[in-house]
Amino acid sequence: MTYERLNSLLITMVVTVAFIWLAIPFTMAVLWSLVDPAEPWTADKLLPPVMSFYRWVDMWENSSLRYALISSYTLAPSAALLGLCLALPTAFALGRFDFPGREFAKLLCLLPLVVPPFITAIFFSALLFQLGLNTWRFGAIVFAHSILFLPYAIRILTVSFETVRQDHIDAARDLGASAWARFRVAYLPALKPGISATLLIVFIQSIEEFAIAFIIGSPDIVTIPTLLYSALGQDFVRPNAAVLSLILVVPNVFLMLILERLMRSANPTLSSGKG
Amino acid sequence: MAAIGIRGLSKSFDGFQALSEFSLEVNQGEFLTLLGPSGCGKTTLLKIISGFLEPSTGTITIGGEDVTHVPPERRDTALCFQSYALFPHLTVLQNLEFGLKQKRVSRDQREVRISEVAAKLELETQLEKLPNQLSGGQQQRVSLGRALVMRPSVILFDEPLSNLDAKLRDQVRVEISRIQRDYSLTAIYVTHDQSEALAMSDRIVVLNGGKIVQVDTPEDLYSKPRTPFVADFIGGANLISGRVSSQTEKGPIIIETSMGPIKTSHLVKDNVDNVELSWRPERAKIGEGPHCGTIVHRAFQGQFTDLILEQNDIIFRIRTNNDKLRVGEVINFSLSPDDVVVLEVDK
Amino acid sequence: MTLRDWVPIFALLVPGLGLILVLIGSVVYVAVAQSFGYYALLGQSAFSLEFWSDVFDRKLFSRAVRYSIYVGFWSAVLSVALAYPLAIWLRKPFPGSIGLGALLKAPLLVHGLVAAFLYINVISYNGLLNQFMQGIGIWSEPRRLQNDPNAFGVLLLQVWKNMPFALLLLTGAVQSISDDILDASRDLGAGPWARFCKIIAPLSISGMQAAMVIIFIGALADFTFQTTVGPTNRQSMAQLMVSFKSRGDWHSAAVVGVSLMTIALLGSALLAFTSRVIMRGGLR
Repeated sequence: MTYERLNSLLITMVVTVAFIWLAIPFTMAVLWSLVDPAEPWTADKLLPPVMSFYRWVDMWENSSLRYALISSYTLAPSAALLGLCLALPTAFALGRFDFPGREFAKLLCLLPLVVPPFITAIFFSALLFQLGLNTWRFGAIVFAHSILFLPYAIRILTVSFETVRQDHIDAARDLGASAWARFRVAYLPALKPGISATLLIVFIQSIEEFAIAFIIGSPDIVTIPTLLYSALGQDFVRPNAAVLSLILVVPNVFLMLILERLMRSANPTLSSGKG
Repeated sequence: MAAIGIRGLSKSFDGFQALSEFSLEVNQGEFLTLLGPSGCGKTTLLKIISGFLEPSTGTITIGGEDVTHVPPERRDTALCFQSYALFPHLTVLQNLEFGLKQKRVSRDQREVRISEVAAKLELETQLEKLPNQLSGGQQQRVSLGRALVMRPSVILFDEPLSNLDAKLRDQVRVEISRIQRDYSLTAIYVTHDQSEALAMSDRIVVLNGGKIVQVDTPEDLYSKPRTPFVADFIGGANLISGRVSSQTEKGPIIIETSMGPIKTSHLVKDNVDNVELSWRPERAKIGEGPHCGTIVHRAFQGQFTDLILEQNDIIFRIRTNNDKLRVGEVINFSLSPDDVVVLEVDK
Repeated sequence: MTLRDWVPIFALLVPGLGLILVLIGSVVYVAVAQSFGYYALLGQSAFSLEFWSDVFDRKLFSRAVRYSIYVGFWSAVLSVALAYPLAIWLRKPFPGSIGLGALLKAPLLVHGLVAAFLYINVISYNGLLNQFMQGIGIWSEPRRLQNDPNAFGVLLLQVWKNMPFALLLLTGAVQSISDDILDASRDLGAGPWARFCKIIAPLSISGMQAAMVIIFIGALADFTFQTTVGPTNRQSMAQLMVSFKSRGDWHSAAVVGVSLMTIALLGSALLAFTSRVIMRGGLR
């Protein structure tokens, strides 16, 4: 049938474009990260003449990569935990109580997503200067990250609280459960996937965040994105940038895929269909 | 000439045979109902007639013209959806206008047709409202109106009453029948509700497993079901199997069953010994008679009482006006030979 | 509700919503105040319109405004225009459609900076594109494609990163239109184009507006793509703001920041309004 022929033609086209869009650039990145400095990869060769993990070892030993990894991977879990703690009470209020203006409150929670990140970054740093807290860089970044990504946390946890079933709570009470037992039996099962999803999404966002880390962190704190940014700018060495790109992207892809799973189990309507 | 002709229609989805070798003619101005349990192929058939599905084999003609491969937007059919499928962003007026605009009907004509249909369906005061501001019954009428303004050669109904509550259902049912008669529309109506089918149709097509089981007028379908499936699906008849014990030229045939001998005035095919019988619960005459049973359950329904009886381990149902009978009583009853139907055995 | 009911709810909202309002509120407040000369880090703080008039007089600023609006507008329009047909195509599942959707949405998982690197890698002077064009004989010698003056590189990256996002929102919007409604419109004689204009577009408009506005704000305030692959002779507003700030000129940075927020707000409203009008126009 003509419709089916058209459809398969379209599929082929999209797959081809997506291939050019994704596979080729990533293959190039992997190849570049393996170029051995012994012999440069010149335009006339299809593959790098000498391939080794020299760049990876070199970056690990002689650049601030190690430091950036440490700071990124301490910032992110701290921001995730803080974000979770800050989001839980608000999500509880939004998910379990019906009060006038609740929808408006939900809308206000989205504010950090609307203000451009560089504006938040710059004027938050101005605020820190005014308060004399401008040397408190690590704490400032954790604080800013956890609040910046609160919209995601609050949204996910609100839905989790909404899925807690009142009849489960009532049944637990009817059977004489204490407050703690009620929490464990009625709330916790519904909240668990939401809590994991929240931790993970703030973690991922914090690892990837650039504006705050760049404006507030520089020059003391280097994260993977700021390191990659400088590797793309003033000191552009292609193999090094390739190594950094892969270090930034590969773990996050896996984390995102886990997140997708979690979101689907937390709430099917929230799942985005990506991955 | 037939308004719709369906010949040798088959449709399968990934190996599942939804319709097989289906042939049917629908007459001009006829109200035809497709009746059957879910999964019997009635909705598939409706989708093929309206053009949303193409049959695997077979042809469809509308008004003598072959439309088998004509897409729905160019078919002269109008479909009333179970979900009403009103356009939520358009007012009632815009909903009614939609199809006419697509067909490039002139503005004057549009106004004439819409005001006529709106008057008929009592929608004049609702024209500026959005669908979600209307009650279920009103939405149903808009959906009907949207189909009517098209003046289609066939109007198709896909279980249009299933989302209405019982009281409204009766009211809309009467309304649909009245409009169909007023406009002398050719209508195909899909339902799984036998009482709807009996009340509205000129003819009923009973479907099961993608095949036609019986096509008849409501009266004949009820009094002369041809197979156990039809007997049971329509009106819940009592079924019992038995052996032909005597077949004489004159007078009723006697069938030996576990309820004792039952007389029937309907013919049994030659060379058949084992038969299936059906009789309606309300046709049993309580009092004197050759049959008896113990009441094991009683359900008072208002204008009648349903009794479940047992005899020799077989269970059957009797419907009576007598509300004095109680569980545990043994009653006698008789059956008129005319009311006992001999069925074809399902394959 | 009585005061007694409000107190616990209020207390619960404070750590989450409260902190959001405090942080964003004070950020916006500081930006506005600094643009009028308050909160000076050096010198004295006093009300002044001088920074506004200074910055507005500079050609650099008006060029940055025009440039940022250009990038924001086209990123939003192109991403949505590409995503719409794909979303409609993927509305009904068919064999392979889930894999296809995942493939199209994959860039969501890739960081913008990584995307920028991948892009530079492909278009660089001795990169793959140049080799390919020379290989098939269209170009006789490699061309310099990096930091192109029309910012096609920036637009390409914005679309690369944002089209999947638009697709996500539009797929949701388009999938929420029931089959019955589309079937009803077909039954009443609407062809593919009429179905899009009269049913799909008006019913998915809020998803489309959301995609437009979010992409517009993001691309308008872009810094990373601009500084890595953007034209070198022009600056985006975010870039200008950062450069003022790093020179210690907080007041000028604040003027740019406040202008950026205003443009984001007005531009979003205008975009949302215009797209609604265009969709409504399709109704007549």
